[in-house]
Amino acid sequence: MQPTLSFEQAPPISVPYRFFLTAPLFGAVAGLILAWLGPAAIESRWSPGALAMTHLIVVDFMLQAMCGSLLQFVAVVAGANIWRPRLVAAVVHPLITAGALFLATAFLLEQQFLFLLAALVFATALGLFLTVMGMALLRTPARGMSIYVLRLALLGLSVTLALGVILASTLGLQENLQSVWSLHALINVHVAWGLGGWALMLVIGVSYLVVPMFQLTPAYPVWLTRLLPAGLFLVLCLWSLQLLPDTGAAQSWQSGVALAGMLLAGLFAVATLWLQSRRRRRQADVTFLFWRGAMLALLGLAASWLLFEALPQLGSYARAPLWLGVLALPGVFLSVIMGMLYKIMPFLNWLHLQRQGGLAMPPPNMKQMIPERAMRAQMRLHFTALVLLLAAVLLPALALPAGLAFSASCLWLEWNLLGAARLYARFRDRIRAAGRAAASAQP
Amino acid sequence: MPELRVIDGRSLQPPEPLELAVAELATLAPGGELVLLLNCEPLPLYAILDRQGYRYRSERRADGTNEIHIQEIIR
Repeated sequence: MQPTLSFEQAPPISVPYRFFLTAPLFGAVAGLILAWLGPAAIESRWSPGALAMTHLIVVDFMLQAMCGSLLQFVAVVAGANIWRPRLVAAVVHPLITAGALFLATAFLLEQQFLFLLAALVFATALGLFLTVMGMALLRTPARGMSIYVLRLALLGLSVTLALGVILASTLGLQENLQSVWSLHALINVHVAWGLGGWALMLVIGVSYLVVPMFQLTPAYPVWLTRLLPAGLFLVLCLWSLQLLPDTGAAQSWQSGVALAGMLLAGLFAVATLWLQSRRRRRQADVTFLFWRGAMLALLGLAASWLLFEALPQLGSYARAPLWLGVLALPGVFLSVIMGMLYKIMPFLNWLHLQRQGGLAMPPPNMKQMIPERAMRAQMRLHFTALVLLLAAVLLPALALPAGLAFSASCLWLEWNLLGAARLYARFRDRIRAAGRAAASAQP
Repeated sequence: MPELRVIDGRSLQPPEPLELAVAELATLAPGGELVLLLNCEPLPLYAILDRQGYRYRSERRADGTNEIHIQEIIR
């Protein structure tokens, strides 16, 4: 038997939707920055443009979508009581949006006070989010590997936040932390916890439930569901040893630890692709294809890392980290997020409308919520943009078409999601009007 | 003879079985029964059935299939 979903704890639909409908817009902004700055933005991972685009994608796109999904997912899957979800969303959502804009502007314009402002805003918003979600996940009576992995993911976000606040404060105050920590080590650990401990851990935890349930595959093997989160957590703890003052011993381990992390990520990708190949229904919907693209990108990321380790002259190339970043961010995480948004929004529309209209006013068919043709076309543009972004890393002259294609893909996603939200609002109004008419017809 | 309808949702992609079940219930004659075959426990459907005045019982088959029998509560 597969895990189950309960809908009674679900927050109001506005709670996840405000995050979902904002997220793609900042992907579009990141694409426009690339198109505007051109090859200069991708000279290296340290260029102001690259840092601004990265944070717009990881915070304003990925974090927005992940926070919105988690507010829904924790309530429905863990049956957890989230403290005042509407209030939490109303505080966290605008603050994250503003914080990422401050951070991106701080990188682009090198404005110190904006780094400080971003640090303050993120500490407030994510501090509240982590406290509320942490309490909900600790108190829930629900058990299961997904719940444990979600707790680990929240821990990963906490570490990422703490290190991010230290980094932003350092940049804002122009303080020299060299005596305490190497800035390079601090960034290494911040990135690893953000991408591995938070984003990948969350994808892994969610995949245990949604891949078998929505893609009709067999369940992940039990040994794998235990190995992946435990192994990833151990790798991240060992990776963090580079923060210790005497890092001689830790540094000699770093390559091995990173290799172990990449092998775990590759194992997850192979396992998911293998499960997908054994699905009970041959028809592949857009969510399935997005997941498959994401897992191929994850496999490509692990393979590229191995190649860069094997050929140091290639790995030390200034744009090599950008190649890995493109595979990780638009390739793995945005693909999973887009695929899941196309599954979640029609489902939530239907469930909320069904609850309001009952059997008397059945909601529209879920397949009508977002036209299949529009989703597939947007998906093709997303993967085309991914290929162009990878090509632009090799040939920076392609920065303009790559940036424009990525921006257009994000805007198209936004348009498709807005269509679903508009359809929800239209039908909800119709149900309310019918209710009012019925009430006024009564003597 | 009361009407009996069966939906085999085991090879359908969720939430299709839920959607089909709700559509069938809207046209099921009083006294009729809907049987839903699934691989999971459909908690969202149970919530809908509770709200709409249906009774249900689920039986686990040896092969893991969840067989859910749904009937309207006649008052």
